[in-house]
Amino acid sequence: MKVVIDLKLCEGNMRCQEAAPEVFEVREDDHSHLLLENPPERLREQIERAARLCPRQAITVGK
Amino acid sequence: MAAAQELSLDNLDIIGPRHYEDNGYPHREWAYLRKHKPIFWCEYPHTDPFWAITKHADIIQISKQPNLFHNFPRLLVMPLESGMPPAEEPPFRHLLNMDPPDHGEYRSIVSSNFTPRGVSHLRAEIEDIMGKVLDDAMGRENLDFVIDISSKVPLDVIAALLGVPQKDRELLFQWTNAVIGVLDPEFQAGGDVDSTFDRARLGLFQYFINLTEERIKQPTNDITSIVANAKMNGAPMPQFEMLSYFLLLVVAGNETTRNATTGGLLAFIENPGEWDKLKKNPGLLKSAVEEIVRWTSPVIQFARTATADTEVHGQKIKKGESVCLFYPSANRDEDVFDEPNRFNISRDPNPHLAFGIGEHFCLGAHLARLELEVIFGQLLKRLEHVEQAGPIARLRSSFVGGIKHMPIKCKIAPASD
Repeated sequence: MKVVIDLKLCEGNMRCQEAAPEVFEVREDDHSHLLLENPPERLREQIERAARLCPRQAITVGK
Repeated sequence: MAAAQELSLDNLDIIGPRHYEDNGYPHREWAYLRKHKPIFWCEYPHTDPFWAITKHADIIQISKQPNLFHNFPRLLVMPLESGMPPAEEPPFRHLLNMDPPDHGEYRSIVSSNFTPRGVSHLRAEIEDIMGKVLDDAMGRENLDFVIDISSKVPLDVIAALLGVPQKDRELLFQWTNAVIGVLDPEFQAGGDVDSTFDRARLGLFQYFINLTEERIKQPTNDITSIVANAKMNGAPMPQFEMLSYFLLLVVAGNETTRNATTGGLLAFIENPGEWDKLKKNPGLLKSAVEEIVRWTSPVIQFARTATADTEVHGQKIKKGESVCLFYPSANRDEDVFDEPNRFNISRDPNPHLAFGIGEHFCLGAHLARLELEVIFGQLLKRLEHVEQAGPIARLRSSFVGGIKHMPIKCKIAPASD
């Protein structure tokens, strides 16, 4: 599944990392980084929850 | 009795400042609108008409499209009781009335100071501030919780962040009261709406002209230094925008947290079972803070202006029309929250919109959460007894849900360490 983080919007609010720790990691640069290039389907629910909870709505989840 | 009156679209009031002062939030009216008319064309004396948006999903949809729905020029719906026309030019230009791409550029100057990581090192200082506030109040049985406790902590925190010395903090307090309480006679000090706001605004501007000059000469690590020395495309920030930045930080950093604190304690007084639950399980503190923020939703509304013809929830919105986003209504939306009218500190999930969402998501959200965690954490340990000792006085405002005074009778224990 394709996941994109808009780094112009992301400012490290941490909600994605809390929702899907296998996929997102917020680092010292206050940006979220993808830990998996192509996350597996079994994580879809977590990732969609992360996208929904993102305060800045910076995450897009593809097919 | 107004309460007994049958609601209808012709008679409900969700924007009159006096309605908020007399009755608190119009939750009954919002529930009616969510059910019957979630996108409601609202005409009210002395303000331009607007679409009232009351559903959680619709507020998200609008907030996620900052290019289609601009914050400029109408930042909020402000009904002026005198019916005076609003000023031609807004008296400030800061993050709240900026749009992309400027908004992002200005926001990024300070945003790293407000992330969870950015605020975490403030915990010890906030603990210290709250500890002193409780020490000062300790010997007294009767307090005004607002004056003696809830207004003090956020004020001290924002003053510390900005590097404003202790002796000047009373000035910040007066300015922020005047800006938010501009429609309330208690804060108008004999003047009208415009002069109340402008006196406070100009006083604050002059103060920060002086403070920024000092910080340009001799930078420190406070936020005043960061803003004063910021470069926008290589040039210093224009002065009007710079002073407006401080106006925003001072006001936004104070009123909201103060009112979440006061409203939070009131919710615990009215729901003693939840207080007992938290006492037995302090691990619920973070979750309790989220519920306090949902329950109190201190910011009542912000507005957006459509930049093109569009549609929300099946309703056509024309270019140039305003939409008014009622956050406390979204936070009681039956489609999102189980038992929305119950104060439940273990609520999970709790996807409230009290901090907004998207481009303009509250910059200070994590600072507010940290402050509330420290405040209620200490109250939990030291407040041995509390009861309301008289009626609360609400602010005359349909922008920020404020409690001006809350008399309590209490017993505060000494710090245990």
